Amino acid sequence: MKKIIKTMTGGIWLVDPPKDISLNGYRIDNVIQYTDFVITLYFGIVVVSLIFFIWRYNARKHPHAVYDLGNTKKHRYLTVAMGLLVFFSIDVVIESMAFKDLKEAFWKFPKGEDVVRIEIMPQQYAWNIRYPGDDDIFGTNDDIVPPQNILHIPVNTPIVVQLTTYDVIHSFYLPNFRYKQDATPGMVTAMWFQAKETGDYEFACAELCGNSHFKMKGFLTVESKDEFDNWIVAQEPEVTDDDDDWGFEEEDEGVPTKWGWQWKELK
Amino acid sequence: MEGIKMSSSKSIMSTHIFSTDHKTIGKQFLFLGIFFLLFGGFQAMLIRWQLAYPEQPVPWWLFGSIVNGEAGMITPDVYNQLFTMHGTIMIFWAITPLLIGAFGNFVIPLQIGAKDMAFPTLNMLSFWTFFLSGVVLLVSYFLPLGVASGGWTSYPPLSLPAGGIPGLGQAFWTLSITLMGVATMMGAINYVITVIRLRAPGMTYFRMPLSVWGLWLASILNVIFVPVIAAGLIMLLTDQLLGTQFFLAGRLAAGGGGDPLLFQHVFWIFGHPEVYILILPVWGIVSELLSVFSRKPAFGAKITVICMSTIVVLSSVVWGHHMYTTGMSPLLGKTFMFLTLLISIPSSIFFFNWLATLWRGSLHFDPPMLHTMAVIWVFAIGGLTGLYNATVTADIYLHDTMFVVGHFHYTMAASVLFGGYAAIAYWYPRMFGRMLNPLLSKIHFWGTFISINLVFFNMMATGYAGQHRRLYNPGEFEFLKPLADINIFITISAFILGAFQILFLYNFIHSMVKGKVAENNPWKSNTLEWTMDYPIAHGNFSTAPQVVNGPHEYSNPNVKDADWVCQTVKIGNES
Repeated sequence: MKKIIKTMTGGIWLVDPPKDISLNGYRIDNVIQYTDFVITLYFGIVVVSLIFFIWRYNARKHPHAVYDLGNTKKHRYLTVAMGLLVFFSIDVVIESMAFKDLKEAFWKFPKGEDVVRIEIMPQQYAWNIRYPGDDDIFGTNDDIVPPQNILHIPVNTPIVVQLTTYDVIHSFYLPNFRYKQDATPGMVTAMWFQAKETGDYEFACAELCGNSHFKMKGFLTVESKDEFDNWIVAQEPEVTDDDDDWGFEEEDEGVPTKWGWQWKELK
Repeated sequence: MEGIKMSSSKSIMSTHIFSTDHKTIGKQFLFLGIFFLLFGGFQAMLIRWQLAYPEQPVPWWLFGSIVNGEAGMITPDVYNQLFTMHGTIMIFWAITPLLIGAFGNFVIPLQIGAKDMAFPTLNMLSFWTFFLSGVVLLVSYFLPLGVASGGWTSYPPLSLPAGGIPGLGQAFWTLSITLMGVATMMGAINYVITVIRLRAPGMTYFRMPLSVWGLWLASILNVIFVPVIAAGLIMLLTDQLLGTQFFLAGRLAAGGGGDPLLFQHVFWIFGHPEVYILILPVWGIVSELLSVFSRKPAFGAKITVICMSTIVVLSSVVWGHHMYTTGMSPLLGKTFMFLTLLISIPSSIFFFNWLATLWRGSLHFDPPMLHTMAVIWVFAIGGLTGLYNATVTADIYLHDTMFVVGHFHYTMAASVLFGGYAAIAYWYPRMFGRMLNPLLSKIHFWGTFISINLVFFNMMATGYAGQHRRLYNPGEFEFLKPLADINIFITISAFILGAFQILFLYNFIHSMVKGKVAENNPWKSNTLEWTMDYPIAHGNFSTAPQVVNGPHEYSNPNVKDADWVCQTVKIGNES
């Protein structure tokens, strides 16, 4: 079915999206492909009728128009049929696909032991990333804070990310996962994703955040579970003198420290 | 009638500058709109230059040295200013005055058989407030730290001093749009009341031309939703200048602050109806002109009106689809998606009616008709691609990418541009007494039609390939490097598009002086604005017209020797 749709629409965008390496990205690609198909169909109908009418009913060929107000009962039925056709062929299909995907994947946050939890706090113009460390609690002395813009995740493992921002609104955009989530001041937002393949990828800020918005790039490394464990062990824990002073106040050459927040449990 | 004539003294001040004649005010809006259209369009060319040839000096034919100082390069802060002002100017100072300002003013009273607007002085004030708002906006170009650069949506906290944009540019931006909103409200109230109160005898609602319907519905949305954004902008302004914290939160807010999301809600409660405010006049004009140039009644005109009215209602409850990635509640996301997709039903029905109007018609491909049919093409693409953005899951990927940019340029830029050109070509003889040069009009049309599709379709393609918006240099990202060629292609197409608009400008000005003198009813239309001699006197109609027909009695078999009949002429079997 996917192939048929792809052939029928001829890949209307003429380019390919970034490689999908995620568990659920195919769902987004599918709904996009169905929409490609259905809009090509309807646009085709519009264009074919336009061309036919231009050829058949131009004034030279068809000097006398037919007087037709289009207000009879038959016309009204036809109109209702048109509306219903569109409703069922477009709205109902796309909606059921999307709602199913949201329920089964995007809004169904994974739970359990193997989930990797990460807190991300973008700032103008860099990504601060925090892992909970050995005690599995954020905002403690053993938190792992890698250098800015460096994000490592294990493959085939659900990753839950919570986001807030240091300053203005940013958006955590993972092209290879077909996903993005805003980071807004004063609130914690959440998203989850899972990689199917290892490798090095990029992530970006998708929400205008100032003059160097275009440079706000991060480096994502997807690696095996073992490599990931080795990497995280090799990182220095964020050692601090006292536990009391957690908050946004401290900065070291523009890099905030001790910014972690208590993990928000989702229902 | 007498009152209007006696009160108008003959000085140039009162006839051409502070005129209360709706026709003069309409022309003033038209000229100002075209000025801003060119200004905003020029900035688009600079944006495209930077996207195709990042950090290379702007060439002389884009006025590189004047705009960018000595180095001749666009810097990141200038780039952000360019796209901010391009969007702001095009939406608020080009499209709004071109369609609602110019044609709302010029066409509504003439087509409904009124002597003038309900409140002529308010109408004049509306234009001059609008003019003032434009001046405030342009003055901000001379501020030491430049104009606003927070995007046309101006989301806080970025648009607040704490967000890091220096200077007063953002505050001038907020102030000028608030003023623009005041001007729009004055105009909109005028249009709404004029249509309700001043229709000529016999001009029932369903005998109004569909162009009036479109403009009227747009004005109703304006009356309801412009106050919302005005309130939001005043709050934003006090945040910017007085240190209130309506839209500030997190670390930057000293005393707890407010909520940045609140601004997004307020902005889009207005912002989504706004796109319908911009497009409704086009729908009306298209519905009307298709009938005129097919010499056939508008198919199912009543249903078209009902559909447009349904969309007016729906447009006010779908703003959340701009905010799917903000982390809104799943229930809200689904609701907004459902409501948004519902718009496809009335839209498809009036599309069907448009095509059915052409069916068995007798099509005359004069320049207004060419532009009208182009609207069908571009709005079909624009409307259908809206489906991706309405879908929560697809939008998670496509939100804030060039796909969205391409989509809304199809709906707002391309559709409104062609609708505006159709309206200008159609009513030009009534406004200036002469015809546009048809050959130049046709060259301009084809050049615009081809290049505009190359630009906006490929924008969507780059977005589908992942390119996010508002990037100074897409080459910063490895995954966007393969798109360099397509970006160059878009830019060259955009330059061609821009060049063809200069041809239009030449035609527009030249024909005013040298164009063929127009007859009173060159398109053989039924509607009332073609019944009087040019120049149309202040007061329009010497006696109030008595309307007996609907506007679309083309090719009526009961009319002898003509395929049209004026709305005031009885169609009878008596002869």
